[in-house]
Amino acid sequence: MCGIAGIARRHPSGVSLATLGRMAAAIRHRGPDGYGFYATDRVGFAHVRLSIVDLAGGAQPLGNETGTVSVTYNGEVYNYRELTRELEQRGHRFHTASDTEVLVHGWEEWREAMLPRLNGQFAFALHDQARDEVILVRDRFGVRPLYYAVRGGDLLFGSEAKALFASGEVAPEADAAGLDDVFTFWGVVPPRTVFKGVQQLPPGHYLIWRRGEIELRQWYQLEYPEARDESPNAVRELDELMRTGVALRLRADVPVGGYLSGGLDSSITCALGAALSPHQLRTFSITFDDPRFDESEWQQTVAASVGSQHAIRHIRPGDIADAFPDVVRHTETPLVRTAPVPMFLLAQLTREQGIKVVLTGEGADELFLGYDLFKESVVRRFCLRHPESRSRPALFDRIYPYLGDRSRGGEFWRRFFLDAGSVDDPLFSHMPRVLNTRRIREFYSPAMRDTIGAHDGLAELRDALPAAFAGWSALNQAAYLEMTTLLSPYLLSSQADRVGMAHAVEGRYPFLDHRLFELAASLPTSSRLLGLKEKEILRRWARKVVPPTVATRRKQPYRAPDAPSFFEPKAPEWVEEALSADTVRTLGYFEPAAVEGLTRRCRGGQATGFRENQALVAILSTHLWHRKLLSDQPTVPLSADGADVVIVTTGAASPARSRTSGSPS
Amino acid sequence: MTSLSDVEILNRVRAFVQREFLYMRPDFALADDDSLLKSGVVDSMGVLEVLGFLEESFGVRPGDDEITEANLGSLRAISDFVARNQH
Repeated sequence: MCGIAGIARRHPSGVSLATLGRMAAAIRHRGPDGYGFYATDRVGFAHVRLSIVDLAGGAQPLGNETGTVSVTYNGEVYNYRELTRELEQRGHRFHTASDTEVLVHGWEEWREAMLPRLNGQFAFALHDQARDEVILVRDRFGVRPLYYAVRGGDLLFGSEAKALFASGEVAPEADAAGLDDVFTFWGVVPPRTVFKGVQQLPPGHYLIWRRGEIELRQWYQLEYPEARDESPNAVRELDELMRTGVALRLRADVPVGGYLSGGLDSSITCALGAALSPHQLRTFSITFDDPRFDESEWQQTVAASVGSQHAIRHIRPGDIADAFPDVVRHTETPLVRTAPVPMFLLAQLTREQGIKVVLTGEGADELFLGYDLFKESVVRRFCLRHPESRSRPALFDRIYPYLGDRSRGGEFWRRFFLDAGSVDDPLFSHMPRVLNTRRIREFYSPAMRDTIGAHDGLAELRDALPAAFAGWSALNQAAYLEMTTLLSPYLLSSQADRVGMAHAVEGRYPFLDHRLFELAASLPTSSRLLGLKEKEILRRWARKVVPPTVATRRKQPYRAPDAPSFFEPKAPEWVEEALSADTVRTLGYFEPAAVEGLTRRCRGGQATGFRENQALVAILSTHLWHRKLLSDQPTVPLSADGADVVIVTTGAASPARSRTSGSPS
Repeated sequence: MTSLSDVEILNRVRAFVQREFLYMRPDFALADDDSLLKSGVVDSMGVLEVLGFLEESFGVRPGDDEITEANLGSLRAISDFVARNQH
């Protein structure tokens, strides 16, 4: 896993190594093992490397035999050995044993028809000199990030937006509509970002830049060809895909560890990882003092069962507030939850323990309908079919037992779900979450409201739904929305890639193997959510893989303490500064009186609901985000300490390559 | 505890709701019969605060089956409930 950045010029004015060096330095945390540059008179690529595959030969940027196709690449193509063999049979000569080289030869051979052949998680840029094109590509589900901006016909791109800002050619500026989307969906739905004039390449898309002209194309579309009945082979196919999916993700020239939450999904990935790995598996977990968040008992059970060497990061009072500013700098977005912070601290522990690749369980809840939101949408529909029923709404109490009996607020609790949107709305399943999150808007300043204007993220989302959406079952519609509005924009980004790569730890996701997604999407929804039993087929299959108590365990959502984290006795100074009337007024996003009222209630321990907790996290993170991403862009020198350095420069008229070592000047 | 008049109860309930639930929307016009839930003023967690307020301020503790919109769904409903149940 690595970081990439680059520039493609409309006119052949060149890209300086100094500019590429600044861009690389801004994302150096993603690749501390080495860096490299590639430059022609029109195109410059930068790469920061985290060495995982072909430690000696995998440096980038990397070209083909003739130097006409070059790549800078972040990610993993797990089936690279098979593709290498296929390409060699077609006459290509490989000089390295890395997955990177597959991309340049694959592009020569198949161009965009190469993309569906790749099994992996990736974001990369290719320079095809013969066609004078730069191509940006992002994986199917948006595991790896890719941002871009166009200025005067020049294309600038990077794994993180801060690489674009470090170029000196893209000014960081807030996009109020993007912020409003965060306060609607938890993350911005691509291609928009929270930065004006900066876009994200949507998952499953590629972009072709040709002398200032841009064309965006989709190469992978989520589809849900739901079968009426479960195939008799379904469990066997699931077994095959789970095992090969994990085996492929153990391909690395360094040991692969596992994150272990104690839930079903990570227990599966750790159990298979332990069984298939040539090493004793190292597992890593988060624990909390608060039993509402803590799952250590389950983690210990699974670690003992799979025989892993287990390490924990206990989240102590003060940890979340202390790490929050760094987390926001890495996530590059305001947040509505503190949940990314423990994941940031877990990655820190993992790296300290000498592991830089981990298997994780993300994706299972989206594929196999594990989230409470799916059950909630079923119960809401069920109730709304017979609104006069008094017994049906009691089902809501069974969905959220972990919130406690009286704390749900009786009839009020049920009413909220029933009033949250019409069954005719394509976004029906997500409206309770959206309406809850949008309460943050009540804290906006008048200026913020004015800047947002008529923007409506919900309307944009409805307009952007694929034509096939209307033909899918209600649960598959909900699954699609979860994949596209939460998984990639928030979970895989703020809670995974960013906080992992902050410490150069790469996550690998067996549940996001596209073959497994396609199997899950073709199953009847009753194989995934049976009544109120989530992930039914996965549980059925997993009985032989994980301890029986884990296979039948009810899902516990991963949560972390929110508002109270910032009002502990020794809260860091930045909290008071971020909530001060002066800051609120100066930055202008929120209304000072509203923030003052919220702070009063948080200090008094009265702000116990989602609404105020998320508002507090939103306000704090927005102010930190502004300070760290918009105001204080630090210029970081690119250090060559202990790193392998590659510089490849190729003149347009001369394809000869030169390789030098040393720091860029 | 001396029984309060209906008007006094209503004024106290209104002040509580404005201070704790409408501090971020000072211009919000909430009529005494408006639904607290439909207008988004009080959510299910907010109901818990209302329950705490009723107990602390009026010594009234609704049972689980009394936590309904009919009893707690508007400023007037709450005030009427308190008036019926205060000692």
